[in-house]
Amino acid sequence: MDIREEYDAISQCNKCGFCQVACPVFRSTGHESGVARGRLALMRGIIEGRIQWGRELEGPLFNCLGCGACTANCFGAVPTADLIVKGRAEYLEQVGRKPIHKLLFDGLLPYPHRLHMAARAVALGKNSGLSRMAGAIGLLRVLGRDLARAENIIEKLPAKPFRGKVKPGEYNGKGASLNIGYFVGCGIDIIQQEAGYESLNLLKKIGKTVTVLNNCCCGLPAWNYGDMDAARKLALKNSDTFAARSFDFIVTDCSSCAGFLKQYDKVFEGDAAGQNRIKSRMPKVLDMVEFLFTQKINAPKRRTPVVVTYHDPCHAVRGQGISTENREILKSIPGIEFREMPEADWCCGGAGSYALSHFDLSMAVLDRKMENLASTKADVLATSCPACMIQLSHGVRRKGLKTRVCHISEIMTGAKAH
Amino acid sequence: MIDEQFIRNLESIVGKSHVSLTSTGVELYSYDASLVKGNPGVVVFPADTREVSQTVKAANRAGIDFLPRGFGTNLSGGTISVTEGLVICMSRFNKILKIRPDSRYAVVQPGVTNLEVQNALAGVGAFYAPDPASQKVATLGGNAGENSGGPLCLKYGVTSNHILGMEVVMADGEILRIGGAALDPPGFDLRGLMVGSEGGFAIITELTLRTLPKTESVITMLAVYDDIQSAARSVSEIISAGIVPNTLEMMDATVIEAVEANAPCGYPTDAAAVLIIEVEGMIVGLDKQAARIRKICMNTRCRDIKTAKNQEERDRLWQGRRGAFGAIARLAPNYLVNDACVPRTHLPKALEQVKNIAHQYGCRVGNVFHAGDGNLHPLLLFDSRNPEELEQVHKAGWDIMTACVELGGTISGEHGIGREKQAAMHMIFSGDDLNTQQAVKSVFDPENTLNPNKVIPLPESPGRSLPPGKPTVLKRPGGASAKGVSEAISTIKAAAASGKTIRAVGADHFGYFGNWCKGPVTPLSTLAMKEIIEYDPANQFITVGAGMSLAELQTVLGKKNQWLPIRPPYYKAGSTIGALAAMGVSGPERMIYGAPRDLAMGLQYIDGMGRVISTGGKVVKNVAGYDMTRLMIGSNGSLGVITEVTWRICTRPELCRAASGTGALNDCFNAALKLMNANLFPAFITAGPKGDSHGPFENQWEVIVGFEGLAMVVEHQVDQCRNLLGESGLTPGEPLDYDLIDGCFRNDFDMLALAPYTLKAASETEKMLDVINGIKSMATPTGWFLDVGCGRVFVALDALKPEVWASITQNIISFDGHAQLEKSPESFRREKDIYGDVTGTERGVMHKIKKALDPGALFAPGRLPKIKAANA
Repeated sequence: MDIREEYDAISQCNKCGFCQVACPVFRSTGHESGVARGRLALMRGIIEGRIQWGRELEGPLFNCLGCGACTANCFGAVPTADLIVKGRAEYLEQVGRKPIHKLLFDGLLPYPHRLHMAARAVALGKNSGLSRMAGAIGLLRVLGRDLARAENIIEKLPAKPFRGKVKPGEYNGKGASLNIGYFVGCGIDIIQQEAGYESLNLLKKIGKTVTVLNNCCCGLPAWNYGDMDAARKLALKNSDTFAARSFDFIVTDCSSCAGFLKQYDKVFEGDAAGQNRIKSRMPKVLDMVEFLFTQKINAPKRRTPVVVTYHDPCHAVRGQGISTENREILKSIPGIEFREMPEADWCCGGAGSYALSHFDLSMAVLDRKMENLASTKADVLATSCPACMIQLSHGVRRKGLKTRVCHISEIMTGAKAH
Repeated sequence: MIDEQFIRNLESIVGKSHVSLTSTGVELYSYDASLVKGNPGVVVFPADTREVSQTVKAANRAGIDFLPRGFGTNLSGGTISVTEGLVICMSRFNKILKIRPDSRYAVVQPGVTNLEVQNALAGVGAFYAPDPASQKVATLGGNAGENSGGPLCLKYGVTSNHILGMEVVMADGEILRIGGAALDPPGFDLRGLMVGSEGGFAIITELTLRTLPKTESVITMLAVYDDIQSAARSVSEIISAGIVPNTLEMMDATVIEAVEANAPCGYPTDAAAVLIIEVEGMIVGLDKQAARIRKICMNTRCRDIKTAKNQEERDRLWQGRRGAFGAIARLAPNYLVNDACVPRTHLPKALEQVKNIAHQYGCRVGNVFHAGDGNLHPLLLFDSRNPEELEQVHKAGWDIMTACVELGGTISGEHGIGREKQAAMHMIFSGDDLNTQQAVKSVFDPENTLNPNKVIPLPESPGRSLPPGKPTVLKRPGGASAKGVSEAISTIKAAAASGKTIRAVGADHFGYFGNWCKGPVTPLSTLAMKEIIEYDPANQFITVGAGMSLAELQTVLGKKNQWLPIRPPYYKAGSTIGALAAMGVSGPERMIYGAPRDLAMGLQYIDGMGRVISTGGKVVKNVAGYDMTRLMIGSNGSLGVITEVTWRICTRPELCRAASGTGALNDCFNAALKLMNANLFPAFITAGPKGDSHGPFENQWEVIVGFEGLAMVVEHQVDQCRNLLGESGLTPGEPLDYDLIDGCFRNDFDMLALAPYTLKAASETEKMLDVINGIKSMATPTGWFLDVGCGRVFVALDALKPEVWASITQNIISFDGHAQLEKSPESFRREKDIYGDVTGTERGVMHKIKKALDPGALFAPGRLPKIKAANA
């Protein structure tokens, strides 16, 4: 990776500072290193020889949530989140990559089975209070020094993964014609399994067949971390899985996965062969929200009125441009009062593994989200990304709010918000 | 020098994690939103005023330059250290401390963004008028430092008109409070001077903002033109029709094309210009105003005008304006925004010049600008990676400023001078003007350590004065050649040579004002200076000699259906413009029109060396240099003899009508408070004891509320107001039409003036009753006049014991207010300070300014509040 190739894009920043208003990190720190303008200035400084690669750059390059809010507020629409990923990639090459990352991205994420094993070991450790075991496995440890404090973010780890209970393979649905592939993201697989069951039920309502895919991680964590090789490997592996059977479309109930799957070709930028391979193999990908909206699934009526608000995952609202469908769905359910939350499209600070590596910043961002949530007095906070759910649930517990956090699938089946 | 010891000191003050010294830290604070770059030596992030003060003191001890910075969105290099000094980043000062819609003010920390305060105020139905386009990210500290404008300032004025007070850390680290919720403290207008000082006078750590109640309704229109001239004519004619839209924003063909290519919002791509016109106010009458605007536009060759039917359409129209910079920004890697101003009728000429200049330097240019106040924003496109392009764009910017100044404008309307336009200051100011401004800077920053080497052009060698030469581009009519000025100069020089003191005298109506001073004072008559130096009705300004009477000025303006919207209390026929400017007084209609400080755009005065010094200019938006105009206005002649003043003037309102209600003092006061944040826009809210009553003090009072403007709007508001007064338990009286020039209260003030003592006390509006009760318990007033809209109490007294005066002022100060005796017998003035017995560094600063600008103590002895040390 060589960020000099991005010199034009980086120079497009006119330093007006409008990114500051939208950047959750900057709103918390007020420091120029934590906002698009500053990060771009540093990359430009590197290109123009004023700054040398070194550990000092770790903070500015890695404390970006990648939420993309800066770009949405940028006159020149500089794609900072993407540029940061490239900056991270070069950082890893120039400054170094910790062996533990290698273990995660090369050794665990490509292999669902190994990941399940690791998660199981962690679950044992966590649920029995043996946090050291988790450390020994290295799965969470990988993500940084804040782990010890971050451990409480996940309340409880199920002992078995989702696909430990629902085996990958084809299931019959009630629909007439559609063959649907269900992409099981790591977050659903390992932690938010209840949402996964409801999503699967919804898919079965519509599909003639629903195949629970034996996919591996979508690659977003590796990509965000700047490990492009790992991300490519994962993308290729998944595209092979998809191509093994003919699907009308693939659905995932993780908006982060959906957003990334839809952009697999960008992972192979500059690699025509890779891009062609992806293009020829990728079926249409739908976010669960899009699926629910286009299929017009009816949700059961609520007997007692319930107030629901919504958190927009970054990878849904900015990654895929999904912002009205989810609200339309919720507003159409009888008995549900939809109440908009201020700054609903602001990042929750979860950003995948961000909370594990930047605990204080992540909590500052989360606190703002919780203040906004509290102002709605909603009974239920719905969203469409399991990683956001983890973070938001943690926030609710931290602040002692009564609001319950759930996946929009759980609302649709009536499993939650009743 | 920045050494380890200094860094350790900083770390011990603000904490290690709030000091940034690394190479990345330096890079990150080496830029702002301008093209200026400069590496800081070190950056600190203090948490509170005390830490700022200690940081400044540490920097002083170490001999290190320092400057304040907010979120670094400055457009003229004001927040860049050009001497590798210490950058004090105020981003942690991010709290809104107090919101008081009934008293119309809010207290905030300087690191709060403009939009954050707007959002907080919206919750209580109020707003803060200045709305710079960068309001999402620009902090209020920066807004104050730069005297920011924005689209709304066409209607409401710029930042300086909306800052009431502040807390600052001075260059020596001392903490000082200036002004506050109470309007117009006695002495020099330090808050006016501080606003627009670009971080060179002190570091702002807290701000008191003036807030206003939100308006009821808004109509947004898009007018399309086939030529820019016609669009500019529409703008002038709308304003001269007496309609004050809250915005008049223009975009040219380049911008329209870019906007439509980017995100279409319904601008016709074959148009030469579009104008976004927005009027807001009462629902009643708004449609008619819009209809009048449509008619005016169509009469000035507008192709088509459409009105947004709903919020969605309105947002769409604005989306183009708000996205204009962005749309242009995508055409090239970088853009330079110029922000020169011209009198608005010269806009077509200015735009033509911009086009030619851009062509000459091979830059692409797009224009999007505040047409209502003649503030251009040509966006010059370039690539900052190409040094040649950078140089060309700088040259083009320079030529655009030159062209605008030639048209009678100024070099910066709202972005500031900073580093970027420093040399261009010579275009509009003489060397003497600039040296005088530098002298004020030196009062605040004697060691030149606070944001040094900005704003004022640098002399050839440090510490030297600039050569006195005239402005290189601007022609200022009047000045030394105006009638009566050369004689005045001779008198001043003679007095200076013989050690006499001088007091400027017009009609000599206010000789009873000020503290007593011994020694002979030479009166200097200004009556010969009665010329109209320049009158431009279309651009709504007039420059007149100080000796002209206000009454005569109003007669002159009346011929063009214009006026200077001010009715100073105690004014008589013959009282002059000079006195108005020097005393800075205002009547109750200050509530809507402002005081002389808000209406004067520039002036000239003779200083102690007999030099004619110019301040400001003749455009509404003008942030070039330190705000010497506001320093002079209200300085009571103690810095020099004002010879001429340029005023912003208005179209005469169609109708002036007052509603009234009678009842108990408490009910009157509560009704008045309700009006302060109601959806009505009174010109004044006053109360006084009802004429011939013999009942107890509290029982018989009358509230009078004036409305001025378009007849239909006034009529509606008077009705609404009467209802509100009735609902508040008052007995509404019959509406009363009053004379525009004399207003309602001439008699009231004449009555007060019969007493030997007249007192003026100002406080936060909600505390006025406390102030009244305080005065009542200590003295026996014979007359009262409450100017509730401005939080002021005017009182007549037959007697006042010196020791009682001290307790009255102390009591008022305890309510964050201030008091002065506008009239008192000489015997009293011999003994006491009529500006109130107050200590505080604020007055010390005033005396330092006096000493710097009038070192020979030549002017107006006794007209500056005393400092205790001087008393002793």
